[in-house]
Amino acid sequence: MELARSAREGDESAFEEIMRRYSPRVFRYAGKFFKQRSLVEEAAQEVFLKAFTELGSYEGRGSMEGWLTRITTNTCLNLLRNSKRRPELTLSDLTEDQTDWLDKNLTRAATQQHQSTERSLVAADLAERVLQTMPADDQLVLTMIDGEDASVKDVAELTGWSESKVKVQAFRARRRMREAVEKLLAGTRGRRQNLGGARS
Amino acid sequence: MKDEHIISLIENASLASLSENDLKAIYAHAKDCSTCFQALQAAQVSQLLLKERAALEFEPSPFFHTRVLAALRERQAVNDSWAFGRLWRTAGALASSMVATVAALAFLTFAIPDTQVVSQVGSVGSSYSAEEVILDQASPTEEVSEGQLLTTIYGGDE
Repeated sequence: MELARSAREGDESAFEEIMRRYSPRVFRYAGKFFKQRSLVEEAAQEVFLKAFTELGSYEGRGSMEGWLTRITTNTCLNLLRNSKRRPELTLSDLTEDQTDWLDKNLTRAATQQHQSTERSLVAADLAERVLQTMPADDQLVLTMIDGEDASVKDVAELTGWSESKVKVQAFRARRRMREAVEKLLAGTRGRRQNLGGARS
Repeated sequence: MKDEHIISLIENASLASLSENDLKAIYAHAKDCSTCFQALQAAQVSQLLLKERAALEFEPSPFFHTRVLAALRERQAVNDSWAFGRLWRTAGALASSMVATVAALAFLTFAIPDTQVVSQVGSVGSSYSAEEVILDQASPTEEVSEGQLLTTIYGGDE
């Protein structure tokens, strides 16, 4: 609170201290919404610029971390809304690594096995591509609830939405994501059958 | 449960949050229903993709704080110059309106009363000139009459 007061009065070193303390958290959180480092940096910078101008509204009732997390959520949501949505993803749009990942996970999807770092990056990249075809609000709820295991209440508090809106949004988002992945998996199955047929 | 499709169940909550009993029922149904099996498979892959994406972590670069402070100063400078520009424009508008007011007042002070004076003078003048007209009319009459008188007097003598 003392730091916030000093920063509000124009003490640059106090604001720098706030950034030093909370930027790792802001980066980790913004990193859930963007895979590109440049976008994460852009979001984090925007968060601190907003935080500086809105320091007057921070009354110290909640934690500064919670206050900054709310700003980060809204900033990331705005950036997602401003970014262009990609058209529907088909198997031919994927890289060989991504197709291979899908093919392997068709057979072992039931168990979430530990994957190598390289394969995790392929999966994260594929997740990003699928999410980019979806509306920003869907991306947000899926990332927070299904990715981060956040509760409906947490998402409602961070976004300012009602709990019922979060539930409905999550339901629709899961359906869209499942349908998109189902199409890719159907393509992978078809490809596998074609390869099997060509071999025999 | 075994005969009911489980698609809505896997869309209502994330797979990770489903209870053991729900999962058992889902697997039991998916074994015999190819539509639900494919939906379940897609939901599992989706869950895995989202988890892998969430596992990515970023740390701020060493220059991040310096960059934000520079951006903050830049933004403040823009705001200050914008505020100065706005002040300048406001002052300009105020000055022009003052000049216009002074000009209007000057006009009202000097030009309008002059006109009134002129008109008063004019009206007075016109009254004078009316008299003058009368006098002018009178004087030639007088002069004529004097001339006539002299002519009459001396002409008469000659």
